[in-house]
Amino acid sequence: MSTTGADRGATRAGTARTGAGDSDAGPAGATRAEICVVACAEAWRGDGEILAAAMGTCSILGARLARLTFEPGLLTTDGGALLTAEPVPIGAPAGPAEGWMPFRDHLWLVQNGRRHVMMGASQIDRYGNTNISAIGAWERPASQLLGVRGAPGNTICNPTSYWIPRHSTRVFVPEVDTASGVGTDRAARLGPRASRFHDLRRVVTDLGVFDFRAPDGSMRLVSLHPGVDAGEVAAATGFAIHGLAEPAEPAGPAEPGTGGEVPRTRMPTGEELRLIREVLDPGGLRDREVRA
Amino acid sequence: MATVVPLAEAVGNLVHDGDSVAMEGFTHLIPYAAGHEIIRQGHRGLTLIRMTPDLIYDQLIGMGCARRLVFSWGGNPGVGSLHRFRDAVQNHWPAPLEIEEHSHAGIANAYVAGASGLPFAVLRGYRGTDLPSRTPNIRPITCPFTGEELTAVPAINPDVAIVHAQRADRRGNVQLWGITGVQKEAVLAARRSLVTVEEIVEELEPRPGAVVLPEWAITHVSEAPLGSHPSYSAGYTVRDNDFYQAWDGIARDRDTFLAWMDENVLDRKAAR
Repeated sequence: MSTTGADRGATRAGTARTGAGDSDAGPAGATRAEICVVACAEAWRGDGEILAAAMGTCSILGARLARLTFEPGLLTTDGGALLTAEPVPIGAPAGPAEGWMPFRDHLWLVQNGRRHVMMGASQIDRYGNTNISAIGAWERPASQLLGVRGAPGNTICNPTSYWIPRHSTRVFVPEVDTASGVGTDRAARLGPRASRFHDLRRVVTDLGVFDFRAPDGSMRLVSLHPGVDAGEVAAATGFAIHGLAEPAEPAGPAEPGTGGEVPRTRMPTGEELRLIREVLDPGGLRDREVRA
Repeated sequence: MATVVPLAEAVGNLVHDGDSVAMEGFTHLIPYAAGHEIIRQGHRGLTLIRMTPDLIYDQLIGMGCARRLVFSWGGNPGVGSLHRFRDAVQNHWPAPLEIEEHSHAGIANAYVAGASGLPFAVLRGYRGTDLPSRTPNIRPITCPFTGEELTAVPAINPDVAIVHAQRADRRGNVQLWGITGVQKEAVLAARRSLVTVEEIVEELEPRPGAVVLPEWAITHVSEAPLGSHPSYSAGYTVRDNDFYQAWDGIARDRDTFLAWMDENVLDRKAAR
């Protein structure tokens, strides 16, 4: 489900530029989509040898980029049932296969837990409950969506992240109409035994990166993408995000959610840009998903 | 004991109004030819079961065959929504469609329970979501060994399971390979079953990774070359991606949809 631009809270501030003083900055001219790909890749950092199950263009590119750079042990697919020997360009044939992951085996893997999924969401609330089922009353919805698919199992069994290409109040709602993916508040209510595998990692959007590590388990700012200001994110979100308040005073090194300087998503390195542009997505599908 | 019969006869023998029908095949080997024959025979009141309803269920729903849908994901893969499915849920056109929504694993495990002769399947998922409040078919259960609260779903035993495969031999043993879904589970769980195949051969050559369905688990086999179009049958046909794109425009409008079905399904006979 794509959202329309009409409900966006603020006009976009144009393409991101390398921020002055960004020590990790790559070449100038990285697009917002490329920043998003790298932000998605970062979600799998430290995961080791597990399946990176990605949905959405920047998410798929991020998984493959992570494997090509800092997370070589990741298992990535061709988008279907093949585990590829090497990360392949998006939409390209699998090439040599490292293994088969037919649907039934994939479902066993979900139960087993060696998998970190990055899904989409049509709605997400402050505790990370998500909805891909129906908008409006479930009995006769205003909009019947695709269905809960793997969300109930994924969120309760596997590390789960979200990739949301258009951050807007239509998606970031105070309360989801139907909970198909489990958030931190519902997981806490289930108790430690039922929620012991529940692990919401992060939410990457076209505006920033968020996690659920506020003291009450609610959404917290990790970083804003270069060129995005906090007011823009607040206007595009239907609830308060912890740590998003305008910076009070420029004091000390920034810890997420502690005020002070707004943390910034890191820029792609030159090598990452080369891999994105020349190897993984020469056709520029990423720019169709995230507007410049 | 499987018998090899023409497709129209197989559907006529096996599918009755009001039946629960599971048509499986994931991405590939989707039994379109059999679905079209159900539409031509004008069946009504079906409970359609499928892990990932795509265009074939959009067509069955839009033609008024279904009363109820048991599913976990309904969409046009890589394209977007199923407009006939959405119209039925949102606007009750051409008839109201009751839905029972599960996770992928919920349906897969319910087939396994059905195939195993067990009354229910157990999952860790569903807890914390809103699904248990939507249907009596998702309920909590306590593990007798650990005390952990889990979720139970009743076994699925469809009246009829229908799948498409690459090959069968003349006795009705079936072989399928490539991206496999839950075809085996659905067929073994069903009371009656139909397998359509690309071709019938004298002998099934062993293939690594192939799924074999023995003839004693199958009711009818029908030869239906190209019977998975616009999906594909690995080794025989390729996926018609253009058709999946075109379907978005065809199905968006009720009249365009009905005209397409008239011309391409109702006015045609089964392949043989």
